[in-house]
Amino acid sequence: MSADKKMSRRDLLKLAGVGSAGLVMSGLPVTVVAQDAVTIKVQAHGLDDNQLLPIADLLVAKHPHVSVDWVVLTGIDHEEVAAKILALVAAGESIDVGYAATEATQLFAGQGLAAPLDDRITGDADQDFWTDYFADVHPSLVEAMMYEGSLYEPPRDFNAANMYFNTNTLAENGFDVPGPDWTKDDFVEIARGITKKDDSGNTDVFGYAWINRLWGSWMPWIFVAGGNLYTEERAPGGNWCWDGYYEGDPAVEGRGGGFRWRTPIANSDEVVEALQLVVDLWQEGVTPDIEMGSGATLTGFYATGKLGMTPAGGFWAGRLKNEGMEKGDFDVQLWPAWRNQKHQFGTGGHWLAKGAKAPEEGWEFMKIEVSREGFEASPFFYPVIITTSARRSYSQAANYESTGPANYEVFYDTLDKHPSTSPIPAPPWANPMTTIFTTGTSNAMSGAMSPQDALDQMQSELEALTARQPQYYADN
Amino acid sequence: MTTAKGAADSRGGFLHWLLQDTMDGLRRRRAILGYLFLLPTLLGIFVFTAGPVFVSFGLSLFRWNIFRPPDYIELANYERLIGDVRIAISFGNTLKFTVLAVATQVSIGLILALAVHRISNTAMRYYFRTTFFLPLLMSGAAVAVVMGYIFHKEFGPLNYYLGLMGVQQIPWKTSADWVMVTIVITSAWRNLGFTFILFIGGLSNISQEVLDAADVDGAQGFRRLWSVTIPLLSPQILFATVTGVIGAIQVFEEPFIMTRGGPGNASRTAVMVMYEHAFKDIEYGYGSAIAVVLFLVIMAFTATQMWMSRRWVFYQ
Amino acid sequence: MTANAIRNPGEVSALEHQRQVLMHRAGKIVPVVLLFLLSMVVIAPVVWTISTSLRKGTESFTVPPRWLPTDMAVENYEQVFKKVPFGRQIINSTLITWGTVIGQLISASLAGYAFARLEFRGRDALFWIVLATMMIPIQAVVIPVFIFLRNLGLVDTLWSLILPAVPTAFGTFLLRQYFLTVPIELEEAGLMDGVNQWQLFYRIYLPLVKPGMAVLAVLSFNFHWNEFFRPLIFLIDNDNFPITLGIFQLQGYMMTGAIAVVLAGVVMSLVPVTIIYLFGQRYLIEGIMRGAIKG
Repeated sequence: MSADKKMSRRDLLKLAGVGSAGLVMSGLPVTVVAQDAVTIKVQAHGLDDNQLLPIADLLVAKHPHVSVDWVVLTGIDHEEVAAKILALVAAGESIDVGYAATEATQLFAGQGLAAPLDDRITGDADQDFWTDYFADVHPSLVEAMMYEGSLYEPPRDFNAANMYFNTNTLAENGFDVPGPDWTKDDFVEIARGITKKDDSGNTDVFGYAWINRLWGSWMPWIFVAGGNLYTEERAPGGNWCWDGYYEGDPAVEGRGGGFRWRTPIANSDEVVEALQLVVDLWQEGVTPDIEMGSGATLTGFYATGKLGMTPAGGFWAGRLKNEGMEKGDFDVQLWPAWRNQKHQFGTGGHWLAKGAKAPEEGWEFMKIEVSREGFEASPFFYPVIITTSARRSYSQAANYESTGPANYEVFYDTLDKHPSTSPIPAPPWANPMTTIFTTGTSNAMSGAMSPQDALDQMQSELEALTARQPQYYADN
Repeated sequence: MTTAKGAADSRGGFLHWLLQDTMDGLRRRRAILGYLFLLPTLLGIFVFTAGPVFVSFGLSLFRWNIFRPPDYIELANYERLIGDVRIAISFGNTLKFTVLAVATQVSIGLILALAVHRISNTAMRYYFRTTFFLPLLMSGAAVAVVMGYIFHKEFGPLNYYLGLMGVQQIPWKTSADWVMVTIVITSAWRNLGFTFILFIGGLSNISQEVLDAADVDGAQGFRRLWSVTIPLLSPQILFATVTGVIGAIQVFEEPFIMTRGGPGNASRTAVMVMYEHAFKDIEYGYGSAIAVVLFLVIMAFTATQMWMSRRWVFYQ
Repeated sequence: MTANAIRNPGEVSALEHQRQVLMHRAGKIVPVVLLFLLSMVVIAPVVWTISTSLRKGTESFTVPPRWLPTDMAVENYEQVFKKVPFGRQIINSTLITWGTVIGQLISASLAGYAFARLEFRGRDALFWIVLATMMIPIQAVVIPVFIFLRNLGLVDTLWSLILPAVPTAFGTFLLRQYFLTVPIELEEAGLMDGVNQWQLFYRIYLPLVKPGMAVLAVLSFNFHWNEFFRPLIFLIDNDNFPITLGIFQLQGYMMTGAIAVVLAGVVMSLVPVTIIYLFGQRYLIEGIMRGAIKG
């Protein structure tokens, strides 16, 4: 019965949505179907409208025999969505094309759920397509989508952790939006300078706030302090891409076939220092209490003009616009320099399932999505920015026209001007790793433990977790 | 043909045996009907409840994530469990929550019931009964969502009103010292309706004669309450405690939605770690080991309560 | 003492009498006032939920909280349907809940009757086994059940919630109690009239345990309409979710969902259980008193 129900839903979708769109776009009544009808199952995000519909329309216009069935998944954060995909596959349901951000890329590749794309790309008859694509995408994004030498997702979007400012709050306290070479000390001065407390000691305006999660959070401080959760080793390989599509680009120097995060260094001095910095700001009342994975505080603070600075990427521009902030009410800058100015990012894209029922059509969907056509049609990048485009061409003035920020160039400059910028650590066991990270973070940020103790515990948990894993990284 | 005929004969024999118009035949028919009637329930319970208990135990001896073949690792999951800080804290939190939540909802439910029972005005009784019962109609998830906002440190209505009384903002959800209190209040707010109604029912069953007799003996006020009313309510108190404990050990929605187990591990519960390991990290073996321990804890609790109840529950 | 005051109507004792009457009244009024204040506290989150669900999104965070929904922003309710497939989720919740309730009524009335009124070998042992399974929490068995449902191909379908919930130890126990209260003379009279065993159950017994079935239905409805843990695990696609998960989803990515919209979802989820309460509170309360452990 439920199978019937699913069928009817799928048919309905096929007829009403995608089918009619194809009909309109091709301008012809669908009377002759040259090929057997194929349905591909594509993962879609479950809130608001499905932003992938225009991509499906393009696909159907080109290949009228294909229709798209959506698998709609949501979660509080990436690891929760990833867990649902795992459950889906574990439950024996098939999916052709899934979405993953850095957080889950190696997870799906390592579990053998995603298919490597190297041969599909190098063997593609339309090499101009790929030359154009890679020329438009920074190699660090591509490298972040690699696992053990193979590429698993062509990057569609990315978000680097940059600093957002409430320009009004800054101006009221006599601060300008800082320049790209500002430092940690400049940051602390501004954060303290805009914090306001009432008579009873409660903070009215907070200088700086963040969400407890893997991306963003205090992770950017770890990077600029010179630390990380795991050592960044590089798998060999990837030369098919670097030599084939990035020849002569200095930004590919030293790149390999994807990261190997396998030696935890979570309680190194640099990491302890970084945590100490954010804990101090919290104890001073500059930063509000940090909740587990909760952005309600941030949105609330922004909506009521109670927050000066927060880490976010391009996606935040559209979010603030939806919260009612006008263009010019906020701006953005690179993360401040500390020991270095190595930034962090996460990137996202679609992966092709190894067990795909319609791999060719699924691959076609993925190609259309990262084509210029796809980027131009996608509501992710225009008119209200939802996430930062992985293609440089679509992170331009026009894309930020309605939302701001004025310094939108910072988003892609994070990659172009700072080639050392690298992804958040996300080995195949990123899910339990994230739980350990956020737990340790809030142990320190609630005052229950000192930064050193919290990180010592985090380190020992990470060591135990890493030791338990099967061999995900080949040894040369 | 002959075999078919033979079969028909024996079936006829069976039917004859069954449909015999005697007391024995009737007894047989009723017995067969009994088994048939029980079939759906027994089969379902075997497949979905009783059987899985043993499967859980079996799974706990493996390392398995569905994507790779299962590894038989004997008791390694249990060894890991013993050394796992997160597990120890989560079971400790569950215990703490259980004691606090049950004590709160039973005692406040009892006080409310005693107070409302004294009211003779029907309209007022109806008002109080409805009000105290209402939260029980909400789902644990909805309650957790709503209370998550109410307890918000900066924007929550609760801290606002406390602030008017000169109380500093309380970090309800973000301090390890407060978070369990917050979860207990949230859960008790909802479950109060249950204990309240239970005790109201118990009170209305106590016969006036018994109370009058107590009056004659000079037992009044708190003495009567303590030595007559409460003993007479002891079956309801036991029931509220047993069900309260079983429910509290399974606490999940409130911390899962309100705090994600934080800050640190301060509100992470036993069911939450089981869920995280089994369904977020896809470690079915380790998740099963946690489930087995959870099961044994509940069994031990229930058995202890039942044993203790013999000593003080008074059946009228 | 009161009698004493009447016998000696002196000035002092008259005052004393007044004082006592006042004390007596105060003794009655003070608890009622306290109760009333407490009832306000208990009901406050519900009132706040309703009023905030009708306020403009930007106002949700403002303090002091306002208790009257002056904005009447019904668009929050429309938003619920745009943010998540709420219409579909209402249908899912309805199907899951009624499917389970009807299934439980059938299976539990059959089993309850068998345990109460039919004699067969092993009956008491089986009854104790069924009773004992009431103590097994779903969390202890959820992993094997998930794997089993997966093997049946039922994960991510509504059946994954209905099918395992239909066999009910509690419902069987409850209805057995009701069947036991039916006078045995009715059965004898029925047999005299020549009804067969099925008719005896269906025509004579079943109508008499309707109150028990109503109790089971109301409790089970309330429990399964509000269920969160099993749907969270057994369902994956948003389109298959019940509204408890829908509300959770409304909180959104990084919980940035608009509070007013989330609360509008909460208010809508309350409608069916409130209706059940209004029309079936007698059964709901009776069920609790009879020992409602789980639905």
